[in-house]
Amino acid sequence: MPLFKTPFNGYSVKFSPFYEHRLAVATAQNFGILGNGRLHVLDLSPSPGPISEIAAFDTADGVYDVAWSESHDSLLVAAVADGSVKLYDLSLPPASNPVRSLHEHTREAHSADYNPVRRDSFLTASWDDTVKLWTVDRPTSVRTFKEHAYCVYSAAWNPRHGDVFASASGDCTARVWDVREPCSTMILPAHEFEILSCDWNKYDDCVIATASVDKSIKVWDVRSYRVPVAVLNGHSYAVRKVKFSPHRGSLIASCSYDMTVCLWDYMVEDALIGRYDHHTEFAVGVDMSVLVEGLLASTGWDELVYVWQHGTDPRAP
Amino acid sequence: MAMRDLVTGGAACAVPGSSSSSNPFGALANALIGSSSKTQERLKEIPTSATTYSDGNVYTGTDEPLTTLPGSEFDRPLQPNVQGAEFFRGFHSADQSRLADVWEEIHNPQLPYSQGRGSLTHLPIEQNNQLQPDFDGPPQRVLSSFLHSFVNSNQGGIPFRPTPLPVLGLSEGDKQCIRDRSSIMARHFFADKSEDFINAQVNALLSSLDIDGDIRARGPLPGRFRELEDYWNESQGMMKPGPHAADGWVAEYTQRRVEHGDPNAWAHSFELQHGANGWASEFEHEQSQIASLNQMKGANIANLAAMEQTRMLAHTLAQNNDPKFQNSKFLQFVSKMSRGEIIMEDNQVKPNAVSAPGDWATEYQQQFNGGHAWADQFAHEANGWASEFAAEHDQNGLVDDQWVNEFSKLHVQDWAEEFGNQFGEGALGENSADNWANGYDDYLNEQIAAKQRSETSRGVYEFSDMNPYVGHPNPLKEGQELFRKGLLSEAVLALEAEVLKNSDNAEGWRLLGIAHAENDDDQQAIAAMMRAQEVDPTNLEVLLALGVSHTNELEQAAALKYLYSWLRHHPKYGTLARPEMSDSLYYADVARLFNEAAQMSPEDADVHVVLGVLFNLSREFDKAIASFKTALKLKPRDYSLWNKLGATQANSVQSADAIDAYQQALDLKPNYVRAWANMGISYANQGMYEESIRYYVRALAMNPKADNAWQYLRISLSCASRNDMMQACDSRNLDVLQKEFPL
Repeated sequence: MPLFKTPFNGYSVKFSPFYEHRLAVATAQNFGILGNGRLHVLDLSPSPGPISEIAAFDTADGVYDVAWSESHDSLLVAAVADGSVKLYDLSLPPASNPVRSLHEHTREAHSADYNPVRRDSFLTASWDDTVKLWTVDRPTSVRTFKEHAYCVYSAAWNPRHGDVFASASGDCTARVWDVREPCSTMILPAHEFEILSCDWNKYDDCVIATASVDKSIKVWDVRSYRVPVAVLNGHSYAVRKVKFSPHRGSLIASCSYDMTVCLWDYMVEDALIGRYDHHTEFAVGVDMSVLVEGLLASTGWDELVYVWQHGTDPRAP
Repeated sequence: MAMRDLVTGGAACAVPGSSSSSNPFGALANALIGSSSKTQERLKEIPTSATTYSDGNVYTGTDEPLTTLPGSEFDRPLQPNVQGAEFFRGFHSADQSRLADVWEEIHNPQLPYSQGRGSLTHLPIEQNNQLQPDFDGPPQRVLSSFLHSFVNSNQGGIPFRPTPLPVLGLSEGDKQCIRDRSSIMARHFFADKSEDFINAQVNALLSSLDIDGDIRARGPLPGRFRELEDYWNESQGMMKPGPHAADGWVAEYTQRRVEHGDPNAWAHSFELQHGANGWASEFEHEQSQIASLNQMKGANIANLAAMEQTRMLAHTLAQNNDPKFQNSKFLQFVSKMSRGEIIMEDNQVKPNAVSAPGDWATEYQQQFNGGHAWADQFAHEANGWASEFAAEHDQNGLVDDQWVNEFSKLHVQDWAEEFGNQFGEGALGENSADNWANGYDDYLNEQIAAKQRSETSRGVYEFSDMNPYVGHPNPLKEGQELFRKGLLSEAVLALEAEVLKNSDNAEGWRLLGIAHAENDDDQQAIAAMMRAQEVDPTNLEVLLALGVSHTNELEQAAALKYLYSWLRHHPKYGTLARPEMSDSLYYADVARLFNEAAQMSPEDADVHVVLGVLFNLSREFDKAIASFKTALKLKPRDYSLWNKLGATQANSVQSADAIDAYQQALDLKPNYVRAWANMGISYANQGMYEESIRYYVRALAMNPKADNAWQYLRISLSCASRNDMMQACDSRNLDVLQKEFPL
């Protein structure tokens, strides 16, 4: 399956919700520790063949995450390490991009998530311990959620309720928020170590997964969160990202500092159902296509983007 | 035509097929007329999921209709600066303040929006799209591979031992980025390790990049590992010797220098930038730094032992049992490391943009280049000098030296004057003036004290983990026995057990130092010898060994200091040395004294040995060889002397002779790791790579911890086109290597 080489270290990869062949990749120079960043937009050829780049945007600091707009097929939100949140419109010439650069986060912006229900809004999570809510038509954030006591590594919208999202933080908690409420509605002390990522089940709006430095993924039901629904062990280093499948309720993809991408079915006994060992450095970005079932993409600090069908070898030509 | 149409360009402005158009006039219209334009409505439409393969929504750069549309953002002349001005003049009767705001918005997209509604149609175009200065030259590669080795150091679980870096010219902002990000990220990828291991890794990175390591800024999590945190904070004072705390200063200072080559202008521009009060705040800042320095000082000596235990703990935790990492990924770490080193050796560190035009920078650069040329010249020659040059703190030490000297020489005066001016202008009250001056004096003293501290704490001895000799009834005797048998690595363990038991056993430390030196590990050798010297400051053997080790490390000042002490404490030659000399040692003086000593008693081999070492320092290799040969006539069975002769011959490009000398050393002491490795280097220098590989492998079989030898092995493997064995080298698989390259 196809492969794309990025000049910088990969940080995040996302399938377009509008085009099955399109991907956005966030990259950062020097592992995001220092240097520039670049946002790539890639197209898969229709048949097996190379991945081509249709656009690339340079930034003055690493790009840590990217999210496609759910409302507009050419709009992208990038979370940049200098704390800025940048909007890019592919239909505009490079000179006009970014179409907006929002400077509110005081530290690295680490994740961006576009609201799939209220499609004019998106969230960014930052190392300044906050999550910010933005809408595309406002030049300032709508709200800032500041409760976490340490870096917030990701924030993810609930797939059904346009007002509800979850956040994952280095303070070892995940929190669930309703943007209409003044405070978080639930604090989930989910792990003993930093939590790097969280995501909602796309078929059960009460189930979230958290991924932690403790190498585990835990699946929780927010209605009874005393004990996790499932604990997925198998990664040998911190789990960097966790993602529920858009096609099967119990399917989870994850990537880790152990350089692997894993697929899990949290409903079954032997939860680990797939393990991909193709990256040669930390695997830090993984996504599952909404439009093509079983299509996976991953990126890592080996500066490679892989796209493959579940069950096939990502490295196969 | 309605004004709205005029402004927005009407429907014609809406780009077909594209739902967004960032027309600044549309924005104006929205702001002025207060209703959203059609283009905005279009944007809200959800584009249908087009699953066909098409680039329809992507800007291609050839879309003629777009560029010809009046009022579209592609039409540069229509940018507000030209026609917009016209336009504004026409509207001056309108609500002025509102207009001004909008205008501001368009012109200053970087500023946070103070008010007003926006839409995608009036998204500001980010004009200030500058990228960070791209260090495209070698420094970037150096930095990159450097960070790489840091990032990958989790995989082998081995402590990060950075190679020295040329001056990279990182700005304060860059440094802060590196500091903050690496300390946050390190907690992710070193999750297995203890908090202090993580901190040690980050600190190793930061200190070698010369970054102030206040990683508590964004360091350990609040509440967790509290004991560790305290523990860490305590030991951090040790690990991060003083100079770094002053780095804020240093960096600030160099930046100013870069900006204003003339030091006099510095203060002036500082005032311009920060206002007169800037002095006060700068001073406050300084004070807090001084305060923290003082805190650190108290904890210094007493905690050395505690610190060593921390190291032990970290090292234990660093053992990684994961075979995957041991085998496949550790490979990359090592290979990148060694490549990084090659880059650095081949890299003629040019006086790049990084270096300020100031004297300090040039001087340092020269010194650095000097050191480099030396490293280049002898990189592939015997005795591992070049790679021992790779001691990170060596660099720090130099920088620091330069700093204190230059700074105090040049700028106190300017500062004082400038300050006087300030004071004259009444910018500051009398009290603060005094405070400032005092604080500055304190600061200078601190700098000097900090420098001294850094010299002592650089030699922190790292103990092995899992020492079977701990608890042995008489580890010293055992160690001496093992050393005599030539089982150096075992002897090291036994002697470590001894000094853990009796930390003021000078003989234990001394022998440990010698064992390390013979095992080709000068860093540890110096650390152990320094402990020995602490306990017994006048031990001649220790002083000589320290002189030799520092010579190996190319630290002339330190080497001279110890060699001179040797002379001073020697019962016979002590009279030659005048105590007042010890303050300022010049090479010529010390060499002269030793020549006198040699004339006094030409039968004393030790004097000739020291002379040989001294001539190595001054790179008079022929004289050095003659001295060692004289010494060998007096002491023909001293294997370390044969090794010294060999190394000197190799340095003077007589590799063939060197091999004979090493062979002598090995005949006398078959387990002399250093001589085996040196032998390999000499063969490599003669282009006999296959031969060199065999010797490296032999040396490594005896001491797998000899990191230098692993790197040499890698170079020889690649020179001999034995890439097939690279994997074995990178995974440090000695069984395979020994089978393949028997000696």
